[in-house]
Amino acid sequence: MSRRFLSVDPPDLGLWPTAKGLAHQWREQWRLVAVGLVCAFVYSGLSLAIPIVIRHAIDSSIAPTNGHHKALWPYLVAVVLLALVRFGVNFTRRYATARTGIRVEARMRELLYQAYLRYPRSFYDRHATGQVVSRATNDLYPIRYFIGWGMTQGLQSLMLIVGIAVVLFLVNVKLAAFALVAMPAVFVLAFSFARKVMPISREVQQLKADVTEAADEAVVGIEMVQAFGREDDVQARFASKAELVRDGVLRQARVEAAFLPGLLFLPTLSIAAVVLFGGHEVIGGTLTYGEFFLFYQLLLQLVWPLEALGWILSLAQRATASASRSFAWLQGIETIPEPTHPTQLPHGGGLGVRFENTHFSYGTGSEVLSGVDLDVAPGEVIAVCGPTGAGKTSLLNLLPRFYDPTEGRVLVGGVDVRDVKLEELRSAVAIVTQKPILFSIPLRDNLTAARPDAPWDEVVAAAEAAGVAQFAAQLPDGFDTLIGERGVNLSGGQRQRVALARALVAGARVVVLDDPMSAVDTQTERHLVENLRPALAGRTVLIATQRLSTVEVADRAVVLDDGVIVESGRPADLLARGAVFWSLFGEEIGAVA
Amino acid sequence: MPSRKHIAQRILRGSSEDPRRRRTGLSRLGRYLVGRRRRVAVLALIGICSAAAPVSALLVVQDAIDHGMRAHDRGRLGRDVGVYLAINALAWVLQTTLVRGLARVGQDVVLGLREDLFDHLTTLSLRYFSQQKAGWIIARLTSDVDALSDVLSQGLTTLVVNTLTLMAAIVGLFVLDWRLGLVALVILPPTLVISRWFQVRSHAAFLRVRETISSMTAQIAESVSGMAVIQAFNRERAFLGEFDASNDANLRTNTHAQWLNSLFFPGIEFLGIVAMASVLWVGGHMIGSGSLTIGTLVSSVFLLNLVFQPLQELSDLYGQVQSAGAAMEKISIVLDTEPEIRDEPGARRAGRIEGDLRIDRVTFSYGRDPVLHEVDIHVPPGNCLALVGESGGGKSTTAKLVGRFYDPDSGGIRVDGHDLRELELRSYRRQLGVVLQDPFLFAGTIADNIRFAHPEATDAQVEDVARAVGVDRIARRFDAALLHTVREGGAGLSAGERQLISIARALLADPRILILDEATSNIDRPTEILIEQALDRLLRGRTSIIIAHRLATVRRADEILVMEHGRITQRGSFDDLLGSAGPFRDLAAQLQGSDEVLQSAPVSGSRASSSASVVSSEPE
Repeated sequence: MSRRFLSVDPPDLGLWPTAKGLAHQWREQWRLVAVGLVCAFVYSGLSLAIPIVIRHAIDSSIAPTNGHHKALWPYLVAVVLLALVRFGVNFTRRYATARTGIRVEARMRELLYQAYLRYPRSFYDRHATGQVVSRATNDLYPIRYFIGWGMTQGLQSLMLIVGIAVVLFLVNVKLAAFALVAMPAVFVLAFSFARKVMPISREVQQLKADVTEAADEAVVGIEMVQAFGREDDVQARFASKAELVRDGVLRQARVEAAFLPGLLFLPTLSIAAVVLFGGHEVIGGTLTYGEFFLFYQLLLQLVWPLEALGWILSLAQRATASASRSFAWLQGIETIPEPTHPTQLPHGGGLGVRFENTHFSYGTGSEVLSGVDLDVAPGEVIAVCGPTGAGKTSLLNLLPRFYDPTEGRVLVGGVDVRDVKLEELRSAVAIVTQKPILFSIPLRDNLTAARPDAPWDEVVAAAEAAGVAQFAAQLPDGFDTLIGERGVNLSGGQRQRVALARALVAGARVVVLDDPMSAVDTQTERHLVENLRPALAGRTVLIATQRLSTVEVADRAVVLDDGVIVESGRPADLLARGAVFWSLFGEEIGAVA
Repeated sequence: MPSRKHIAQRILRGSSEDPRRRRTGLSRLGRYLVGRRRRVAVLALIGICSAAAPVSALLVVQDAIDHGMRAHDRGRLGRDVGVYLAINALAWVLQTTLVRGLARVGQDVVLGLREDLFDHLTTLSLRYFSQQKAGWIIARLTSDVDALSDVLSQGLTTLVVNTLTLMAAIVGLFVLDWRLGLVALVILPPTLVISRWFQVRSHAAFLRVRETISSMTAQIAESVSGMAVIQAFNRERAFLGEFDASNDANLRTNTHAQWLNSLFFPGIEFLGIVAMASVLWVGGHMIGSGSLTIGTLVSSVFLLNLVFQPLQELSDLYGQVQSAGAAMEKISIVLDTEPEIRDEPGARRAGRIEGDLRIDRVTFSYGRDPVLHEVDIHVPPGNCLALVGESGGGKSTTAKLVGRFYDPDSGGIRVDGHDLRELELRSYRRQLGVVLQDPFLFAGTIADNIRFAHPEATDAQVEDVARAVGVDRIARRFDAALLHTVREGGAGLSAGERQLISIARALLADPRILILDEATSNIDRPTEILIEQALDRLLRGRTSIIIAHRLATVRRADEILVMEHGRITQRGSFDDLLGSAGPFRDLAAQLQGSDEVLQSAPVSGSRASSSASVVSSEPE
């Protein structure tokens, strides 16, 4: 029976489902969206009204065509009042729209994070941490700005463009035609600039990341660099990376230089047309000074909406690209299936573990486990040995269902792990992973991460058994010391001991230890080995290890080679047999000879 | 315009308010402009011209209205439009040059600074790197320099063009009609006050947003890299709760920042209209009284645009300049750190070292309490010295002093009779080889890493040492063998494999003095055997100091020193030390005790010479 692998790398979504997804997000914020759109409409109207009033002020009061000066102040009061209303409307539109974007961003991030918590291990094998993180952070910004600015601004720009064109044509058809002929180029220029500059700025970001990497490497490896006196080499390496950044930024500047001044120049062509042809009409008496002002002012007001449309179009491309990836993850990644009719694990007592003809493959290469049969009695401690790459970690990872076997079964307490609710299974199985993972929280909370309500004396007992108590006393705040970048960096061995204590605190009936003391120094390891046995009493333990001293803890050892169990028995008997087990550990003897 | 000037000052000369800050401020950047002064002068001229262009274009428009339209002079109107277009075309060319030129200057400054900072860092001593978190140092080289780069590439153009345009527009207003200029000047101060208020508030809001973003990103990153544990221990709900809290915090700070932003730009827009209405009001009455022309009034109204638009763009810049100033201060902290270990005046180049190493009554402390007390050691050329003892005894410190990573507080370390402080640091260290417990591999191929200390080595030489220490065997599992690319830090290789590569590296460097600091700890047994064999090859013909826990490693030493609490408590050969009661025997028993299982096992035939038997075979 061959099982299908979980889909963890779905293709990006197409344009239509992406647009539907985005529209759905937009609709979720419909109140704010509605406020934004209404304000955009009113704003456009007011932005047309203000120059029109000024035009009348000029024509009837400042430079009246009929020579009869009307009072100027009513016009100007009207202008200021309209501007005041526009201020309020503009503020409301911006604020409402920006909030829409921020909320959509936060919502999308939450959806992704919730999904991350459910995704299977194979997802995390497939995708680098940085990529997973940036999809829930940086990648969301184009979406936020598109929804939080682009969509409303785009509609407003369209309203303004149409409105301005209509007003200009109503005032003077011929002049409007002359004036507007160059303007669409503003949109084209802005759009093509955005398209040209985006890949370069992304490249510059990448180059900057390379510099960070080079800096990181030199700082972390400084002792090596200085010890061999190779400062010149790393300096040259760093300099060449830094120069690439400079060149990238300069390339970006060249594109900016080619496009941005053009964006300023294009509208002056239209203004020139208005001054020239409008001037002739003023001389000919077919255009008033007020109308001339109106043309000039509205052309200036037309520049930004046209430019904005260009930016928005490019932003829309980036937002859909980024959304298509996010939605693909949200919709296309399968999680470890939960049983439809869950069976409960037997209550009380130890839980046995049984692997039945277990096959496993990661789906990318050849089979890692090819028919493992292993029976671990309740309360038995078993060591899983074998050379690097033999499949030890893969075997142990099947117990908490990080993966499911491709063939065969894994039973805990006589129940197929796939028939147990994931949460129940995982509280029955505690695991110490090969690389100890601690969180940036106080040591105390790290120890109780698996069981926050654990009584403190149990925690202390576990900390002592796992050798955490010894160094905890020397930490600045003892058990309350903050661990991690902002706190104290523990050594590899110390981290492993904390992870071990955490698993002991969990109180699970099955404990899985994947090379739990590889970074612990020899003396401490000895101490641990002595204490571990009593601390594990009554639990079923599977322990993978490279060291003979750790094997000592076990009742029985099995040797895994090329995905099958090749030897099994008491460690001493296996050693005496002089086969694979001996070749793994026996040579320890020969080294000193 | 105090705040504009203030920004300009900060950029060009550093804050002048506090003389003590002068050297740590942006003024430091001035020296990267040395040799580029003419270029900068030309760019300044271009900047002034391109700022003057739109203003003078409006003066032409005034002429077109007053002397073309009003005077019914169609010829003049046509000429004016021609001049108007010519000025704008010129502005186009000037701005293109300016954008490119300023970017060039800015980036050259950034590059110079980045290189200097990095070069300086490589000269700082280990003490500095052990006291300062790596993340902090790296941030100076990256995000801080990038903050400066942003200001100097995009910011500089915006700053120069807008500041000059603003000034040119005000001058233009006075040229058109001084009374209208005065009206504009009345409107300007409140606008500047509001801008200033906004800048300060918005910068603070931006900093808060950045804080919440980075703590949220850290939370997500930690969850993603710790997902196996979260899932294994059913901690999903707790982490979701934590995430929601930081996501909400980010939403709140963002909302506040957007509130400010939404207020500012409409506000400036409104003030712009107020200014326009004021000019129209005053101007309208002056036209009525005949002391102003319609062309002047219309041009003045449009000139106001050139005052208010730059204000908006400059406000955007304020936060950037603030961040850049803060970044520069932090960079200065690093640049002002004096390297603790450096060549004394008159230091000599070290010739080929024979390897006679003397540590004379050396006392040393990292802080107040000495970790070495009058330590005396002599290693004759080509000999191997082993340092053993519990951690914290001073073994690694002794090794670090030999590498001159620190200088002793009293006493001296002499190589071939020369005190280390009399030798040129680099010429000495190039004859030094170091293999550490957790060897660091650089991003690059395995061959690159072997070649690290001797970049000129040929491929054949690299292959030779790889073969000699068994790196070729571990490389064989990769398709590209020695050309397999190692990711930074050596991810994908086991500790033992990394150790072998670092031994090959040391062998290729062909050092005269070799230091092995716990090079054989924490390694799985089969690899350790490879390493032990490699060590034999490496140590041959060199003076060496090895620090080790494994008896197997220590055995090969000509002399063994037991160090406890910074003092040498026992010395002698391996067999002598095992033969007499003392700290070494206790240590040996402890080290090998974990292999007791071997003794209880009926070990077959000739394989029985276990390390444990070394201890048990000694005469009681």
